[in-house]
Amino acid sequence: MKTTNKSLLGVVAALAVGQGLLHHNAIYPQWEQNYAPKTGNVVGSLAPDQIFLSLFGFREFLAGILWVKADGFFEDGNYDAVLPIIRLCTLLDPKQVDIYTTGMWHIAYNFTDEDNRSDRRYIPVALALGREGCKNNDYTYELFFETGWTWFHKIQDDFPKAVYYLEEARKRPDMLNARKNVLSQAYFRNGDPMKAVNEYLDLEAKAEDLYIREPTFPNSQNRDTVQKNLDNTLVRMAQRGWFAQNTDQGKSENWFSKYAYDTKPAFDTNFSIKVTVVEPNVFRCEGTWDVLPVGTRIRVILKDADYPNGRPAGMDWEGGPNTTVQFEPPKGITYMQDELYVKNRRFNKKLDLSRDPTMYSFAKDKYVLEFYYTPRLAPAHIQDKFGWNGEGMTDSLFLNTAIRPGQRVMYCKMDISKDMIRRRGEFSMQGGKTPVLKTPNYRETGITKDPDGEVIDINIAPLRSK
Amino acid sequence: MGAISAIARTTLGEAIRRKVLLIIMLIGILFLSVIPAFSVLSAKSELTTMISAMFFVLRYTSALIAIVLTVYMLPNEIERRTIYTILSKPVQRWQFLLGKYLGAIFALGLMIGMMSFLMITMFYLFQHPEASKMFELARQALLYFVEMSLLTAVAMFFSTFVSPLVNFFISIGLWLVGTLLNPLYESISKNNEMAPVLKSIFSFVFSLLPNFANYDTKNPIINPGQAIQNETIYYLKITGYGFLYIGILLILGILIFDRREV
Repeated sequence: MKTTNKSLLGVVAALAVGQGLLHHNAIYPQWEQNYAPKTGNVVGSLAPDQIFLSLFGFREFLAGILWVKADGFFEDGNYDAVLPIIRLCTLLDPKQVDIYTTGMWHIAYNFTDEDNRSDRRYIPVALALGREGCKNNDYTYELFFETGWTWFHKIQDDFPKAVYYLEEARKRPDMLNARKNVLSQAYFRNGDPMKAVNEYLDLEAKAEDLYIREPTFPNSQNRDTVQKNLDNTLVRMAQRGWFAQNTDQGKSENWFSKYAYDTKPAFDTNFSIKVTVVEPNVFRCEGTWDVLPVGTRIRVILKDADYPNGRPAGMDWEGGPNTTVQFEPPKGITYMQDELYVKNRRFNKKLDLSRDPTMYSFAKDKYVLEFYYTPRLAPAHIQDKFGWNGEGMTDSLFLNTAIRPGQRVMYCKMDISKDMIRRRGEFSMQGGKTPVLKTPNYRETGITKDPDGEVIDINIAPLRSK
Repeated sequence: MGAISAIARTTLGEAIRRKVLLIIMLIGILFLSVIPAFSVLSAKSELTTMISAMFFVLRYTSALIAIVLTVYMLPNEIERRTIYTILSKPVQRWQFLLGKYLGAIFALGLMIGMMSFLMITMFYLFQHPEASKMFELARQALLYFVEMSLLTAVAMFFSTFVSPLVNFFISIGLWLVGTLLNPLYESISKNNEMAPVLKSIFSFVFSLLPNFANYDTKNPIINPGQAIQNETIYYLKITGYGFLYIGILLILGILIFDRREV
């Protein structure tokens, strides 16, 4: 009996070692790859009661219920309360794509000041959430598309990033056809129309194939739209001199200098501006932009001179203090971004930053005001003159080819102090100087109102006649 | 083999007549029946909430049945002295234990089967899913059955030397810990601030304890679209793991029961 017992104990020991090895080396790696929630450090991110609920097989259920609760907060406009729920839901169930997509949109778009300007300090957080969502749900196009869309539509800068995410989305087989068009648009913004053409050709082939298989009206419309986009693109590439400048034949035969392309000669936008601090934290921006009666929006940025990861006309959106999903943006830093709408070749806009002290704390001593225009974001009728990279655009004072490599942009920067912004000291409202910053070429327009109500002056000369 | 089969059949008969087990199962069935009604309250994620809640009820009810069924099995035989009439016949103790275990597994399988059938039926009635989805649900229910068989072996092992009440708490505690092992290990292995020695200790414990978390594969069912690699191989591995661990526990149980005074 003793011998049998010893044998059995030996068998038990062998089985114990076997199960340990099997689990550690064969089962757990596969579980981690396929079935783990992939939350990283769940324990460090949840409260004890939440850990209890989440770890005992309850996490997806709890996430679903919490997300319902978040819907209620959305309805009430209590956006701040939604943030922790988004984080909790993504930790509990990182496979719920809806939470990531809605959360990203919410963070990037819904935190605004009294004039509906987004709090852009949150955008790195939205991007961080998008990156996390992509990592946890790399089987679907959705998070890649949403992150790409945030770059493309909200940030409107660093276009290679938009292209990267949209290309990643494109690799996923579940991407909707209608959404694939956005990748073409991203290629345009990235200054790469040939890739957009190739994308359209691919979409056209697929649309044609779909129409042959299912000859329905929507499928015919889909095909026609792609073909129209392709036609337009090819015409624009020809008229803007893209083929002349970028094909071997065009370059060898010197087409661009020989023929009259729309982007020739470069058009002087003649940007000028005067910024007046009319009241504490209230600015009036007036100036000129000699480009058509409508169709231009000039980006204006007011930010700390030493803004973390700041760069000309923007910031490093993926860097800085908010590279992880932290919902509280760093306090004490200021970043305002808006657009100056040009009408009848001038603009006049009041920027009131006095009503949102949490967004615009003006805690630092030095600030910069920046004005920026890139043809990459221009509508097609203006791009026809300026080209995708600004080859048809110039500005006697503010043309810049350094801040965005490969692009000719308008960039104007002004330094401004806290005293000027706050109207303190020598700039006091009680008898002090009125802070005024202006470019040397500024000329008074005589209009002191926002031009929104003005009639469009159609007698303004078109771009080509210049 | 005949003795084992006879004991298993008797155990199965006893189990399905035990009111407490039937009540637990009926409560589970009641919950499974009402879940679809609650899931409509969950905007945009009805499917997630419904499947998640159904699996939750199925898993926890099954665990409770497995533990309650097993913890009283041996002690009752000893207390009522019915074990003497069995062991006085040409029946070895190991045959008795194995028969009891198999009987418990059959009873458990029957109850899990009934609850799973109801769950899949309710799911079909409310969601009209594709056949593949129903198959996924059935497969997860089957994995829970393997998990509960392991849990039954745990309770059976402890029932050879501890009282039913103590066994109840040990088994349920071990199961709860076992369901946490993988997520905890994942968190700890990614925690760079933890001392390496603590990580090693946890790794040892992780390899030693029965790991019930392996059987919870519902995430891809709840969030469809994920590409699961080598799915079948994984299911075979965890089933093999379950059999290995059940073997360990039964052999240890037999060794202890063999030396026990009854």
